[in-house]
Amino acid sequence: MMTTQTRGESAVRGVQLEITGLSKNFGAFTAVDNLSFSVRPGRITGFLGPNGAGKTTTLRMLLGLLRPTAGTATIAGQRYADLDDPTGTVGAALEATGFHPGRSGRDHLLVLADAAGIPAARVDQLLELTGIPAAANQRAGGYSMGMRQRLGLAAALLGDPGVLILDEPANGLDPEGIRWLRGFLRHLASEGRTILISSHILSEVEQTIDDLVIIANGRLVREGPMSEIAGAGGALVRTSDADRLAGALRIADVDSSVQEDGSLLAETDDLRLVGDVALRAGLPVWELSAKRSDLEELYFSLTEGTNRNLGPGHRAVGSDDPGAPVEQGAVSGQEGAGQ
Amino acid sequence: MINAIRSELRKYFTTRLWWGMAIGMVVAGALAAAFFAFTFLRLATVDGGSDVPFDLDPTQIANTVYTAALPSGIYVLPLTIGVLQIGGEYRHKTITSTFLTTPRRLRALFAKAIALVIIAVLNGLGCLVGSVLAGATTIQLLGGDPFPALEVLRSLSMLLLVMVVWALIGLGAGILIPNQVAALLIAIGLAWMVEPFIAIGLSFWDWGAQNLLQFFPTQATSAVVNNVDFVAMGAARLEWWAAALILLAYALILAGLGIWRASREDVS
Repeated sequence: MMTTQTRGESAVRGVQLEITGLSKNFGAFTAVDNLSFSVRPGRITGFLGPNGAGKTTTLRMLLGLLRPTAGTATIAGQRYADLDDPTGTVGAALEATGFHPGRSGRDHLLVLADAAGIPAARVDQLLELTGIPAAANQRAGGYSMGMRQRLGLAAALLGDPGVLILDEPANGLDPEGIRWLRGFLRHLASEGRTILISSHILSEVEQTIDDLVIIANGRLVREGPMSEIAGAGGALVRTSDADRLAGALRIADVDSSVQEDGSLLAETDDLRLVGDVALRAGLPVWELSAKRSDLEELYFSLTEGTNRNLGPGHRAVGSDDPGAPVEQGAVSGQEGAGQ
Repeated sequence: MINAIRSELRKYFTTRLWWGMAIGMVVAGALAAAFFAFTFLRLATVDGGSDVPFDLDPTQIANTVYTAALPSGIYVLPLTIGVLQIGGEYRHKTITSTFLTTPRRLRALFAKAIALVIIAVLNGLGCLVGSVLAGATTIQLLGGDPFPALEVLRSLSMLLLVMVVWALIGLGAGILIPNQVAALLIAIGLAWMVEPFIAIGLSFWDWGAQNLLQFFPTQATSAVVNNVDFVAMGAARLEWWAAALILLAYALILAGLGIWRASREDVS
């Protein structure tokens, strides 16, 4: 479906993005603080952090829109401004608001296509691909958030680039749109593109991404493949005889381990199964909740504690505070049980 | 570079601004020319019945009639176009996609300036069509000579230069005052009200009228088209080519400052 025939075998595919010692100060405020990470070619990398963590600032430095205070950000070893064919190398969708309200979506794309020397036929092809061919002839001022996101995505894909940089692409999309986006990104990644996608919501991207970079307060918190960072979740259950329940679960093909506080952690996210097993074993269930994976735990503590937009001194729930996490776990447990 | 210029031209012609401006140019040119032609020739008939009113040269009358839009203040239209060309990009954050598709910023900004020159010339031509049609018809009807000398053509082409100059001044103002609304108000306020009033004030001060006034943008504009000067009669006036250079200097300084700044500042 994508036109890969024109540029398909060019050297832009599978390039590496390298952020090295990157810092940015706005006056006394340090938005990005000595940040280093790399985005590997041909993979989808999630760039996560709470609102105000410095994600957009980092992406804007990578794209030459902001001048770094220190450090470098390169694409295949080159600064963005030095790329010979920027539109054909990197496609970026930075914010959903960057359209003149009086210009139609199609004309907006034609303006960009002109500047990059891309024929008009490619514009119509992308409008088809992103699902907005009809709306594109109306003025952009009346577009919904979802339409703007799709138009932004179409703009990013104009040059059929090997690298895609998407800043909060799921923002403002309805569940249907998010499902569409997820499928669309997988399709793009399957063509071998490098995709860097920022988000402040872990669940929005965790099913889509291969690698993960987490930042908070402008600093790197964690970096690595999802398989290493994520760890498994499970079902936390409290009963009168944890060992007996463990045995019963073993028969149901579920491994489990008794925790220090006497509760049992079952390696499944099927809460209903755990409850059923306990009932059949004649054991009371005092508590049954989904335990989040280490990654969720980590990310939750970050988003709670480091949202700088709330101002200083807002040191919130860490992982040692059981209150909030359990509450959220219980909610997702209900969802699981209800299905 | 050609691509970037084409992109800038498409930006201008894909919003409704362009035809509003085009209509404004033709109509304003026509009205001003007809009014000036009528005033000059009608007054002359009433006064002495001569074809040549006062002791003015018919060439100067023709110059004045065909460029009547200038003292009427039409230069605020190209000024507005210039401010909006960059101010709209800041306001609607399209400057991000402009610099993403053309990351060599000087190239993007010079493309803007060149596209603006083309747009200003096109609008100037619209103004001239209105002015010459209405002006020549009125002069003819009132018994004057619509084309007394070749110098008239020079004045017509100088009107185009004036349009270009004010558009570039607008580009500079639009960058140096990043808030589009503020940029428009300040630029139009200065060009339309403050500067002409200072010019009138200066004309009462002999030394100022002889040594300073001719370098003012509106005075240089009058000199470059060699029209009848209403603001500061009797003040010193530059040769048309010197006035053209002065106007170009204004444009290059303001647009140059703006481009220099926009080429290095953060876009967030």
